Amino acid sequence: MQDQKQIIEQIIRLRLAQILVNERYKNGDFKIPIHLALGHEALAIAVDRSIENDDRLVLSHRNIHYNLARMGTLREAMDEYYLKDMGIASGHLGSMNMSNHKRNIVYTSSILGNNLPVASGYALSNNLNKKNGVIFVVTGDGAIEEGSFYESLVFMKSNDLNTVIIVENNQWSLGTKIDERRCNIDLDKLADSLGIDYISLQGNDPFEYIKTVSSCRAKSVENNAPVLIEVKLTTLGYWYMKTQEYPDGKYINYHAGPAPEVEMKKYPLISSSDEDPLFVLKQYLSEKELMDNSSKLLKQLESELL
Amino acid sequence: MKYIQFVNSVLRNKIQKEKNLVLYGQNINAASCLSGLTRGLGDVNNGLTINTPNSENTLVGIGFGLMLSGTSSIFFMKQMDFLLLGLDQLVNTYNIIRQNEPKASFTIFPITVDSGYEGPQSALNNLNDFCSIAGVAGYSFTNKRDTEQIISNYLLQPGFRIMSPSQRLLREDLLDIEVINQDKDCCYFQYEKGKDVSIVCFNYSLPYGVILTEELSKKNINSSLFSVNSYLEFDYSYIINDLQNTRNLILIDDTKSRNSSSDKFLKNIYNYCELDKKIIINRKFSEDLFFPRHDQLEIVYQSVVKKFCS
Repeated sequence: MQDQKQIIEQIIRLRLAQILVNERYKNGDFKIPIHLALGHEALAIAVDRSIENDDRLVLSHRNIHYNLARMGTLREAMDEYYLKDMGIASGHLGSMNMSNHKRNIVYTSSILGNNLPVASGYALSNNLNKKNGVIFVVTGDGAIEEGSFYESLVFMKSNDLNTVIIVENNQWSLGTKIDERRCNIDLDKLADSLGIDYISLQGNDPFEYIKTVSSCRAKSVENNAPVLIEVKLTTLGYWYMKTQEYPDGKYINYHAGPAPEVEMKKYPLISSSDEDPLFVLKQYLSEKELMDNSSKLLKQLESELL
Repeated sequence: MKYIQFVNSVLRNKIQKEKNLVLYGQNINAASCLSGLTRGLGDVNNGLTINTPNSENTLVGIGFGLMLSGTSSIFFMKQMDFLLLGLDQLVNTYNIIRQNEPKASFTIFPITVDSGYEGPQSALNNLNDFCSIAGVAGYSFTNKRDTEQIISNYLLQPGFRIMSPSQRLLREDLLDIEVINQDKDCCYFQYEKGKDVSIVCFNYSLPYGVILTEELSKKNINSSLFSVNSYLEFDYSYIINDLQNTRNLILIDDTKSRNSSSDKFLKNIYNYCELDKKIIINRKFSEDLFFPRHDQLEIVYQSVVKKFCS
């Protein structure tokens, strides 16, 4: 029960922290591009909770959720976004390459598909040196179009590497949806063709996510093999823009930059459906409990930034 | 002994002393073992030797991943042009990894295909271009001395670099000439000291320089002979001093690059030397560069000697 409360608080905290970043972003505070991950919180907490001491995490350009989840604080990340010396990487990495070796985030790349080979090398080193531990590598539905995704899966499988590959499938790559840019890639069949276990997740239930990601980790260790998890999710922060051509509003997906319509609220819900992990939390706590938690966490975060 | 046999033997000696090394690449432990370059290395390697799938982009990234986790590796490649597929890793990943001083070593060891008849893909097949894109350290070698020095000192040094033997020289008899001076970082080697002309060879052109030195000596012209083995700029002052004495330069560069380290060298020396004579021997670029043709640098030595004496 205590653990459940902590997990719920982690998710709300992660949402609030991102909205605080967004508020500053809307204010024009940052010179660097930041890719918010509103709607990705349940997955980030699940990965954070599944990672063990010897594991390592390799990230991509949209990494704020993992970095904040692993850090547990907002201050150092915020300072990095401001490119200050006190930032988590002394202002050398900014957002798209933010890593944190102390918290097991060993490499982050802004280039689609670039991090998968590096994760493969890291996992190969673990094998050679008989180290325990799994390499978690996060990628997306855009990056799986890159050759390095396929190449890395082949290498990981061929060399018995303990890896968990997480594909965040939000359907979008910049401003084009999957069906606007390519044929369907059936990851289940692709993984099956390579003899790799495949798991699909959706619905943003943090407890189900934690259970599944942890079991995938265990499966990777047991079989000395990669496991592929595809997580279908929505990157929140999208809005509808009214134009002459689209009087009812044209759907604008959120990719990077400030999310103009996302604002701080007592309970920072963005969407009243299971595309929002904060909506899913309503089945575990009452609205009042969620709001009380949110107010308390917001105060903590704001005092951290003073 | 052939050039390639010697390169292979120096690699063997170095590798067998290592405990936990990853050697990898396509066919490195199969068939011809990359024309003999990697023959037997798997037998002496105490770590891991992997015949990999064909996936150069990923293979470059794997080397950086190994390096990041503290494991040294060498990625051998049959042809340097294959490395074009790894450019993202070569630039973007390296630029992140290099921010922290790495404890492990990563060396990419491709063969520069400069033997001709390879067609379009060998137009960009030289260390100049690869090294310049991200300021990557690169070394070429042509003879017994520089091969020994460069591989011994840098193959497994913490950090990243590219080292490349020449395909043109693979089956040639090993050139064995004494070094009379060398840069501490192996950026250049000096093989002769003379008072009349400084011959400075770039890329794999030292064998041409050796012949030219002999031809000039028949006319009682004493040459200083240098080979520049590095592809990044370095402290040229020693060579400049020599040029200030001889006041004459013959520069030989057999690269196909339009971004050659010899151009950077020339820009530097013009600031410090007044030359009486300057002869530049390099490739004349033409459409033929993109076709499968004999494309080696041709030097008519007697003409060069005549031009110098005129």
